[in-house]
Amino acid sequence: MGNRDASTLGLQLRRALGMALAVLFLCAGSIARAQYTIRWVSDPASTAVEVQGIPRDAMAALESAPPATIVWPQLFAVYAEQAIDPGAPMPPMPPIAGTWKIARGKLRFEPRFPFTRGVAYRAEFWPGRLPGPLGSPAQLLGPMVSGRQPGPVISFFELPRDKETPMTGVMQIYPSAELLPENQLKFYVHFSGPMSRGGIYEHVQLRDGSGKEIELPFLELDEELWDPTMTRVTLLIDPGRIKRGVKPLEDIGPVFAEGQSYTLAIKPTWRDASGRPLRGGFEKTFRVGPADRTPPDPKRWKLSYVPPAGTQGPLMVHFDEPMDRALALRLIAVHRVGKAGAKSSRVDGEIVLDEQERRWMLMPLGPWTPGAYRLVVATTIEDLAGNNIGKTFDVELAAGAKRPLTASSVSVAFEVK
Amino acid sequence: MKNTPKLLALSVLACALGAAGARAGLTAGMKEGNPALKSINQLAFGPEGVLFIADTKAAAIVAIATGDTRPASGAAMIKAEAINRKIAALLGTAADQIVIEDLAVNPLSRAAYLAVSRGRGPDASPVLVRVKADGQPEIVALEHVNFSRAALPDAPDDAVMGAGKRARNPRLEAITDIAYAEGRVVVAGLSNEEFASTLRAIAFPFEKVERGTAVEIYHGAHGAYETRAPVRTFVPYKVGQESHLLAAYTCTPLVQFALSELKPGAKIQGKTIAEFGNRNRPLDIIVYQKDGQDFLLLANSARGVMKVAAEQITGATPITAKVADTKGLAFEKIDWAGVNQLDRLDNRYAVVVRAGQGGAQNIETLALP
Repeated sequence: MGNRDASTLGLQLRRALGMALAVLFLCAGSIARAQYTIRWVSDPASTAVEVQGIPRDAMAALESAPPATIVWPQLFAVYAEQAIDPGAPMPPMPPIAGTWKIARGKLRFEPRFPFTRGVAYRAEFWPGRLPGPLGSPAQLLGPMVSGRQPGPVISFFELPRDKETPMTGVMQIYPSAELLPENQLKFYVHFSGPMSRGGIYEHVQLRDGSGKEIELPFLELDEELWDPTMTRVTLLIDPGRIKRGVKPLEDIGPVFAEGQSYTLAIKPTWRDASGRPLRGGFEKTFRVGPADRTPPDPKRWKLSYVPPAGTQGPLMVHFDEPMDRALALRLIAVHRVGKAGAKSSRVDGEIVLDEQERRWMLMPLGPWTPGAYRLVVATTIEDLAGNNIGKTFDVELAAGAKRPLTASSVSVAFEVK
Repeated sequence: MKNTPKLLALSVLACALGAAGARAGLTAGMKEGNPALKSINQLAFGPEGVLFIADTKAAAIVAIATGDTRPASGAAMIKAEAINRKIAALLGTAADQIVIEDLAVNPLSRAAYLAVSRGRGPDASPVLVRVKADGQPEIVALEHVNFSRAALPDAPDDAVMGAGKRARNPRLEAITDIAYAEGRVVVAGLSNEEFASTLRAIAFPFEKVERGTAVEIYHGAHGAYETRAPVRTFVPYKVGQESHLLAAYTCTPLVQFALSELKPGAKIQGKTIAEFGNRNRPLDIIVYQKDGQDFLLLANSARGVMKVAAEQITGATPITAKVADTKGLAFEKIDWAGVNQLDRLDNRYAVVVRAGQGGAQNIETLALP
């Protein structure tokens, strides 16, 4: 925090100095350079910085010069000011990358990327390096050497920052159950809007019942496990810190212990995609029960409601334990069994998961037709402890355990009448 | 991110012999255009200036013919102070709005390539940046390049769901590392939904992408089989006559896999040959030769940089019992503070991105220990 304040101060000082210099230049050369205007364009359609008032002969010379001979940034460059700690080395910063054009009597610079809110931009136009009466084309090829050349026309621009008013919050943390197995593997944090990436583990805390923070409970991945919209992030409990069998871990210990309660806290310091902090923190408190080392088995699930043919009622499936939310939504489907060897077809519809991820429902897009159906479940589906169908999470292959299942899916048959 | 010295020697030899046929072979299937990256994550150089880019959002590996194949004149040593700020300045934004995702050194031109995200939200722009000996960053324009692409297949599970009416699939696979080895691009990944780590070997030039290989390791520090944990970083390395991958995991076991075992759908168990300590994330691993011996250099989040004599690998005893702290291959701690990215420049030097003063990230060329 101290660093940020210091660097902001440094930036402000340099900005103020820049402004003063610009005023000085403008005053000193007001007669010769009053003709030049720098205009900033920033709208959804285009981002550009334009210089107006360049004499016609200079424009003609620029247009006719072979492009390779012009070092554009020497004539007209735009910079993004960088906040730097006072005292820290400040190597010269390159100008913004982009393209230069001569269009409609103006010299136009189009940056490669749109302007960022809250960043201070500075444009420098050096009229003394223009070809024509004030200079010669050769001056465009090298750095300014003579103090007699007029200094730059400087202009500043900054898009105001988005209001700091927090807009984004945590919607939910899954699993939503209040009792989790001792070998709980994953949490999904859902946000109301897109978030920003980088250093996410600083904003997450896991505390035990006494309020003490648990050290390094998560498998910290620099890549961070976001969904494409960046409204959901996956937190994995470090698999090396999940209690196994009857032997407790000795070195850093398991994250969870049966019979205890814990709180997963999301701090409001986490920034959304616009850089705003969250509306507030979010906490999920839960108790921890026995470890779950039983692989899920759809045979133990209950088809609690099979809608009659002709209706669009929901097919309801009750699991015998809460399932991993993301996988239960993606890896369960209903297929209509084709007649006499014809291909099965998937029943399209809306899938809903509720009752703390214990009930799965399919609302079909059209009415059910009578016939044979199958509930198809990928064997890679996981319960809360990461057990797959036919395989516990931490099976020891070396012990000679044979993988009991190699199929990619299992199915449960049912009939719609 | 890395290239074995032997491979490099072979590719240099191939160039020296004027193996035009081989060159046409590597880039023959490429087309000119814009690969339109959706994201940029891990980087790795193959032979002949071909750069592999992991595009996580598009679930693809893109191969680009950089054309940057002219050997650097003299001993070009890259040094760039505050490269994060210079790149931010070049991209017209603030340094806290860029993420340096990875570093790869082109073994031919000795230029450093950086995968950079401009922005931290879902609309972040992927940018490939090159830094030459002058220390100034430049954008590598990708609008008109020769490229080819390998789409990583959907998880086989997706076949169950089909496309359906659910327009948005929230599943993404984070790619934790890529490397080129013997005509194949090896990709390590981890899903944001299923807890499953995969290693894929994709033949290059790209033809058909095969299913990943599930990999299981024994993790001595935890005293149990740690199944499906994600590979953090790896390097191809020849043990005896056989090509292997040396892969490092969180809490730092080093595990050896035979490259030939990476077959579609196979589940293989690696051989754990070292435990380098808990509470640590390995970041990058390289191989180099010094005084006729091979060494590994491993950069870590918490335990600094470690140097390991590779001769210990042949005949190393697999670790199958619980380990208190460290075990297996002996290592030496190297005093390189703050290293975030590491790649090999040649047998004498490494290029690193390391934390400097006041939030600066610096590129430095360091003599290999």
